[in-house]
Amino acid sequence: MSAAVMPVPGSVAAPQRRPQPLSRRAFWLIVPALLLIGVFLVLPYLNIVSMSLRPPAVGAPYGQGFTLGNYATQLTDSYLLGVLGDTLLLGLTTVPICLLLGYPVAFHLARTKSRWGSLLYVLVLSPLLVGVVVRSFGWLILLSGNGVINRTLIDIGLIETGLQLMNNRLGVTIALVHVFLPFMILPLVGVIQAIDPTLEQAARSLGASRLKVFWRLILPLSWPGIQAGTILVFVLTLSAYVTPVMLGGAQVKTMSVLVVQNLIDNFQWPVGAAQALVLAFCGMAAVFVYARISGLFTKGIQ
Amino acid sequence: MKRNPMGSRVADGLGLAYVGAVYVFLLLPIVIIVLMSLNAGEFLTFPPQGISLRWFGTLFANEAFMRAIGTSLKIAAIATVCSTVIGVTGALYVVRYSTRFREGLRMLLMLPLMLPEILTAIALLFFLYASGIGTKTMFGLVIGHVLVTLPYVFTNVASTLYNQDASLEQAARSLGASPLRAFVRVTLPLIKSGIITGALFAFVISFDLFNMSLLLKGIGMTTLPLQLFDYLRWDFDPTAAAVSTVSILLTLAVVIVIDRTVGLRSLRFG
Repeated sequence: MSAAVMPVPGSVAAPQRRPQPLSRRAFWLIVPALLLIGVFLVLPYLNIVSMSLRPPAVGAPYGQGFTLGNYATQLTDSYLLGVLGDTLLLGLTTVPICLLLGYPVAFHLARTKSRWGSLLYVLVLSPLLVGVVVRSFGWLILLSGNGVINRTLIDIGLIETGLQLMNNRLGVTIALVHVFLPFMILPLVGVIQAIDPTLEQAARSLGASRLKVFWRLILPLSWPGIQAGTILVFVLTLSAYVTPVMLGGAQVKTMSVLVVQNLIDNFQWPVGAAQALVLAFCGMAAVFVYARISGLFTKGIQ
Repeated sequence: MKRNPMGSRVADGLGLAYVGAVYVFLLLPIVIIVLMSLNAGEFLTFPPQGISLRWFGTLFANEAFMRAIGTSLKIAAIATVCSTVIGVTGALYVVRYSTRFREGLRMLLMLPLMLPEILTAIALLFFLYASGIGTKTMFGLVIGHVLVTLPYVFTNVASTLYNQDASLEQAARSLGASPLRAFVRVTLPLIKSGIITGALFAFVISFDLFNMSLLLKGIGMTTLPLQLFDYLRWDFDPTAAAVSTVSILLTLAVVIVIDRTVGLRSLRFG
């Protein structure tokens, strides 16, 4: 009950109970973290709501009084609704591609006994550790009109003129998939590693086909990882800023791009705040619906 | 009941080829950047026209880039120290001392990772102004970087703490060591690997952080990712590839250090 509760399962509860004062004194250990998150995360998130209710002003970040006008504009203006829809669509295309590319890699990484396993793990991690500007720049070199891919295709005679690979949704999607693929793979690796390989062997020795083993055993057991990965990638895609700006050009506008424009270029803080919150709300709603549906799905296959 | 070994070998081969292709996809942009930075030609052309380090020379002569690298290193160092101290003490409390609220506290410390970075940056920007702190100093920028890197330190330290037997520390205590002494002499050496991994991870993440820096940087201040982003708006030459390569090499160095000291598989993520 008291401070003697052990985190390690195997250890038996200590016979002499630790004196209460120690755990009370230990409370100071958590104070810096609580202060940091309380003051610089929770309060700012509360504050952003009040900012979104301020009227816009000229020459100042926001005006006097409160209004719902910023939300009304975001939810009625057809251009703004279009941008919101495009952003959600980008998330809905990036997630399944990441899953299709990431799942086999995660499975391979979780089960490989190769001595290169560690190296492959770095390979998956490396895009995560190399900054998003650098990675998007890499795609810029590859996808631009005179870029590596177009040059190569022209040189080997497959095409005559360069393909339009960027400044459109295609380029943004390719780069977003690359940027967020590690966030799909890593949670999956953990979950798949936890599945006992002997279960698989047992199913196989009882005559189940590979497909059946995958569908009836591996997939349901790795579902928590799929759920974590898809939610992570979806949320990250919705709020991505650098990649859409660098690879989308003027053609692909996402909500994040619009919000930053309102904050930095137009100095319209309340408008930006309302738009950011609408995006966050749509993201949360989508995740909630998804969690409900996928919960039903797991019940169905188990 | 009989399986077809031939067909299954083909399926294995196809599966491996698919996985291999994804690995290539992951590595492709990074390899291309490094190749481009070694290009002897004037432009970002492929294949490179000869190999040369001339663009690294251009980079080292570029004052704006060198200043940005300095700022990024400084901020990453400060943020890493702060988030390591807060993360380690936080993990100690959550794993060893918290009773009723353990799961809640764990969630709270992981919260910055689950919230979209750009939204956190916006919220922090408004808050800095509302509280009168503003962005004239580096304070807000550092706070933003500490928030983002904290979960990485916390989760790495917490997971090594879970794997250590708390009774070792209790043994030291029952033999008369003070709490501080027991921590420094017993617990700290045991969780060293988690702290090193978490701190290095935090450093790399902070060095490359973009959204926080974009919104919270002070006037006239710039970090490496911001400078590179600005540079690419107007110029598109191998200098950008050279500076990207420097950032890739830094990451590679950290990955090698993690691998040599504690092993990469110990890296905790989320």
